[in-house]
Amino acid sequence: MPADSNLEILMAQYQQGDFNAAAVLIDRLSPQLHRFFVAQFASRADADDLLQETWLRIHKVRHTYRPNEPVLPWFYAIARRVRVDHYRKSGRTTARQQALEEMPTIAAPISAESGRLDDLAALLAPLSEGEREVIEMLKVEGMSLEEAARATSSTVGSVKQKAHRAYKKLRKTLSATAFRKGHSGGPT
Amino acid sequence: MKDEEIDDVLKATARGPHVLSAETLQHVSDSIKTSLRPVRPLPPTWLLAGGLVLVCAAVALVGATRAGFYGIEKMDLLQRALILSTLVALAWVAGIGFVHEMVPGSRRRAAPGMLLAIVSGLLVGLFSLLFRDYQTSDFFSAGIACLLTGLLFAAPTALLAWLLLRRGFAVNPVSAGLVAGTVAGLAGLGMLELHCQNFQAAHVLVWHIAVIPVSAAAGAFVAWALRLRASSSDRERVTRK
Repeated sequence: MPADSNLEILMAQYQQGDFNAAAVLIDRLSPQLHRFFVAQFASRADADDLLQETWLRIHKVRHTYRPNEPVLPWFYAIARRVRVDHYRKSGRTTARQQALEEMPTIAAPISAESGRLDDLAALLAPLSEGEREVIEMLKVEGMSLEEAARATSSTVGSVKQKAHRAYKKLRKTLSATAFRKGHSGGPT
Repeated sequence: MKDEEIDDVLKATARGPHVLSAETLQHVSDSIKTSLRPVRPLPPTWLLAGGLVLVCAAVALVGATRAGFYGIEKMDLLQRALILSTLVALAWVAGIGFVHEMVPGSRRRAAPGMLLAIVSGLLVGLFSLLFRDYQTSDFFSAGIACLLTGLLFAAPTALLAWLLLRRGFAVNPVSAGLVAGTVAGLAGLGMLELHCQNFQAAHVLVWHIAVIPVSAAAGAFVAWALRLRASSSDRERVTRK
């Protein structure tokens, strides 16, 4: 049985009040939701808060999930809303300042010495918010175009367009890295 | 660099485990355990969209019953059939759009703004074909009266639509408000088509159809204002703590 349909069954059981199903869902989905927040430039502490807030929201609106519908887009749609609300609450200016302050530490895209990409947040740093979340959903979480479109409340065409732009930027960044690597590693 | 190579880099970067502390997971589990009880999932989309169409029809009929069915009486059979069937079909499409806005992770075939443009554009096309009286007497005075009447009936429709979908959860409240306003605007327009006997093309094309974008804009504005108020009260609560 595919992993996603397991999640759907678990979600249906959670709606019926089964705590074990809820606990399994929390164990299985929390790491990827947490990574989703971290990849969006949230600090570890912020991502912890966002994760807890997301689960509270999921719990509150769990009746809006419809059995047999894909479950991941439903979770990610709520997680996105929680993230937006979080930045709105903390004030746009503060959030932007914070993001800018954190960027050099978590989003230094490329390690100059090794030319190696350190983590996902760093790799996705040159992308816009929308492009980052689309790439994360498609390439990291393995969602289909249709699922990513559902999660981001957009159309499949729009997701394709964002992915295309993101790949263009990533190609540029990665090519520059490869060039730098070749250049620094070459004979002097 | 090829797309496949970028895929490989992304996969390699994300391959490492993303570890969360057991304490965090336990905290999440504990926070939901106390209030865990069975819930009833939302009804299917067709049922909710059907309910919205009925609400629109009911409001338009109640309005026309009070004000008089002068418009529909003056129309010929073709006009009646085309206008009423188009309004029902558009209310159905907009109703499905509103349901999707209120259910997270739903499939979206068109953005709310696009939906509004399609609905308004189709009605402009249809009315241009059906109304051929090109006089413009009392353009502003009669027009503003019709616009206000349409909006007067759009407001309770929006409220009833919101009540019907109150168990939903809008991941983007402004979009949801815009689509709710579009649905409500169709009810207002329906009432005008039943009641208004001014068949001048300019009057119908400008003032009757204007009910839809104005109502949609009002819906989006109300949702934005409510969200802003909620954010402010949350901020105040945090500050007080």
